[in-house]
Amino acid sequence: MDTVFKGEHLLPGHLGQLFVILSFGTALLSTISYFFATTQTNKLDKSWQRLGRIGFYINTISVVGIGCCLFYIIYNTLFEYHYAWAHSSRKLPVYYIISSYWEGQEGSFWLWTFWQAVLGNVLVWKARSWENPVMTVVMLSQTLISSMLLGVVIFGERVGSSPFILLREALQAPIFSRPDYLQYIKDGNGLNPLLQNYWMVIHPPTLFLGFASMIIPFAYAVAGLWQKRYTEWVAPAISYGLFAIMVLGTGIIMGSFWAYESLNFGGFWNWDPVENASVIPWLVLVAAVHVLIVFKNTGHSYFTATFLTLFSFVLVLYASFLTRSGILGETSVHAFTDLGMFWHLVFDVVIFLIITITLLVWRRKELPVTRKEEETYSREFWMFVGSAFLGLSCLQLVVVTSIPVWNAMFKTHIAPPTNPIQLYNVFQAGFAFVVTLFLGFTQFLKYKKTDTTRFFITTGVYLLFSALLTALVVYVTGVYKLKFVFTLAMFGAIYGVVANAKVLADAFKGKFKLAGSAVAHIGFGLLLVGALIAAGTSKVVSNNSTGVIEVQGFDKVADVKENIMLYKYQPVDMGGYKVTYIGDSIVAPNHYFKVQYQKFDEAGKLTESFILKPNSQANAKMGLVSSPDTKHYLFHDLYTHVSAAPIKDEMQEADAMGGDEQHNPAEDAKKYDPPIVQEASLGDTIRFREGYIVLSGLNRSPKVQNIPMGKNDVMLGATLQIVSHGRNYSAEPVFMIKDGNAYDFAKKVDDIGLKVRFTKIIPQNNKFEITLYQQPESRKPYIVMRAIEFPYINFFWAGTIIMVIGFLMSIFRRNKELKVV
Amino acid sequence: MKKSAILGIIVIAVAIAVIISTYSNSSTYGSFKDAEKTQSELHIVGHLNKQKPLYYDATKDANYFSFYMKDNKGEECKVVFTGTKPQDFERSEQIVLTGAMRGNEFHASKILMKCPSKYTEDKVEVTEANAKQASL
Repeated sequence: MDTVFKGEHLLPGHLGQLFVILSFGTALLSTISYFFATTQTNKLDKSWQRLGRIGFYINTISVVGIGCCLFYIIYNTLFEYHYAWAHSSRKLPVYYIISSYWEGQEGSFWLWTFWQAVLGNVLVWKARSWENPVMTVVMLSQTLISSMLLGVVIFGERVGSSPFILLREALQAPIFSRPDYLQYIKDGNGLNPLLQNYWMVIHPPTLFLGFASMIIPFAYAVAGLWQKRYTEWVAPAISYGLFAIMVLGTGIIMGSFWAYESLNFGGFWNWDPVENASVIPWLVLVAAVHVLIVFKNTGHSYFTATFLTLFSFVLVLYASFLTRSGILGETSVHAFTDLGMFWHLVFDVVIFLIITITLLVWRRKELPVTRKEEETYSREFWMFVGSAFLGLSCLQLVVVTSIPVWNAMFKTHIAPPTNPIQLYNVFQAGFAFVVTLFLGFTQFLKYKKTDTTRFFITTGVYLLFSALLTALVVYVTGVYKLKFVFTLAMFGAIYGVVANAKVLADAFKGKFKLAGSAVAHIGFGLLLVGALIAAGTSKVVSNNSTGVIEVQGFDKVADVKENIMLYKYQPVDMGGYKVTYIGDSIVAPNHYFKVQYQKFDEAGKLTESFILKPNSQANAKMGLVSSPDTKHYLFHDLYTHVSAAPIKDEMQEADAMGGDEQHNPAEDAKKYDPPIVQEASLGDTIRFREGYIVLSGLNRSPKVQNIPMGKNDVMLGATLQIVSHGRNYSAEPVFMIKDGNAYDFAKKVDDIGLKVRFTKIIPQNNKFEITLYQQPESRKPYIVMRAIEFPYINFFWAGTIIMVIGFLMSIFRRNKELKVV
Repeated sequence: MKKSAILGIIVIAVAIAVIISTYSNSSTYGSFKDAEKTQSELHIVGHLNKQKPLYYDATKDANYFSFYMKDNKGEECKVVFTGTKPQDFERSEQIVLTGAMRGNEFHASKILMKCPSKYTEDKVEVTEANAKQASL
């Protein structure tokens, strides 16, 4: 029986699904056509190539079509579609609709196919004689990735996961038997509050452009081996490789900026498997490009260069397997769960691994090899060694991150290290030391042969200078208190910066060609310096005891109590600041806590005052999610986040009580200590725990709405001035006699947890009875907060920007060389 | 010996060192019983005993949180965590603790919990709309 469902918009979904199928079909067609265009012997026959291009163009159009349909669905909140329901909601502002677009796996796969299509267009336009073989590989990758979006059942197995699946198809619930089910689905799940950050609008597209562009050096390497153009592919691969490194690197750092701004683990890098998965291919491609440059300049190391280039893309796919298959499960906080694509993702990795191995084995005899050994004092030799160490650092990341994979493969049950951050830090600092040292002194070597005396003199001078500088930096920042390996890494990084600064200075004198690499190296060195200081010497300032606290991962953590309790308006001294929780502001769905920081000099004069607003979102589906707020100084950051606040309880209580206290006085009374009854005359002062109250006057016509007053009825308001913790409040509880009965209207001062009632008039001695209800401490508004100081973190961000500029310069330089050749 | 051979040996040596250190640094999954026998930190997988009380009172000590957990062998133990109560802890389905035994209490240095969040469970929430009576 077919039910006709009311209110569904099926057209965009059908259209979208059509585009999904079409994009897969055309990608496959294009792959096959380009394959035959490459292998056919008659070079004048362009028909295969034309077919390949047509397939590719239609593929591009369908990929854009998928994007448009999906955007239409999310933008118009069509919750009959599972994707829209799962990832967005009506309340979401427009710019976050874009982030909800790629929150799910399907959206991010689409992003990947989109960038591959864009890059494909560049290749069709630019690659000329390389077009056929290179596009065969690119379109093979496009075919495999589009298949992830299919969501079609083949031989009883669902292949891929379509973003256009309907909610009633995705979920089983009795409600879907009703034709009018849609009117009960009021809102979608919404976007994870942690992803509601502007970095999440641009971080995923950048990252995926990086991943997608890594196919190009791979494709060139395959084409070179396949077409026996063994040396020609290297030059374009270097250019595209540099582009991929730059974009992927930027994407990774954007992710770390996001983590720093919106996550609570308190830092910019946490060695989470998901983070590692993105760095692994990056490191290998960096090594690959360096070895490619070695080969281009000297003819050495061909096999290593090719292998690394090919393998870097296999690692991209391996990374996507790690994060998307659900295998990381217990070890990662933010990996995706399995969408039933486990073997599909494995298949993807295996295909490209087979291509890599087959080509290298097949052509092993023909690869250009140099019999002559590299000179010890030559640039190529040390670039090669440095790249080998980059590979080793990557190996360490792969081995540790993949522990769940080893468990699955060998049926073992090994748990990840208890302190993985420390393990990664120590190892990676060691590798960083070696690599940065090499990227320093290699600058003083020349390709092929170097004059050793001069080399030793310059290297020595710069080493000595860097050692002195390192000693100073390490002493000032306190890095020396950490493990020695971090000091070594600092030395390496500083040496790298100094040595490359010399190259840069020379570059301005004429050898401008070398400026790009020098700038990129300087940026990388600064990035490391910043990371080492900021992560190594960051200190929790929300701790009442003084002194530097060892940070997790760099040294053993003691039972450090990192959270402090702030009652509203009760200042607390913390890390040189007087900190006060002064209020809240709610911009749905965020609850901002205003925390005032004040600094006083010795004379007690206020020297600095600012307000930070860390926020929490009491998300009905995800619980309380907090985001930090940070005060940026030039040389350090002060980072604050709320780790606990009673706002969730408030919500529940408000729900339970219907929000109106008059209806439930018994429930309300529970929130207060037993009442204190005071008699006072006009002008009297009443003391209470947190301050005092002055009965300053009486109001004979207080404003109480909607109560008709009879002839004999009396209404009187007591004007109270309340002073607590140096702040003034006023309140006017009202006493009323109506139809011979006494009533009163209480007033609350929530900030200080006080409720006052005007309960009686005692005409004999002209006194008035005021009843005070004070909330116990635990009922008063408070936040539990953690604050961390990150010194010199700007080096990290500045280093990143400089590195990107360096890459850009290098890309321009290599492109110029391309035109010459 | 050729330089490339020396380099190869160094690379292989470091690679082996990496693998061995990974293996020796890796921890084990265990139970509370295992934790009693050892001084070193280990991972324990289990679930929260929702019958017994969770204790976290920010007004008394903002850095003390305790609860009772049953490990996968069914053994129960009191767990102490120095820090704030993780959000939505009550709703957790599975907990992975990292820590060591101190006396009768298990002191956790890290808590990883799995919640029936939107990522793992698709549940349609149905709200029946009924117009609220306008009240005074």
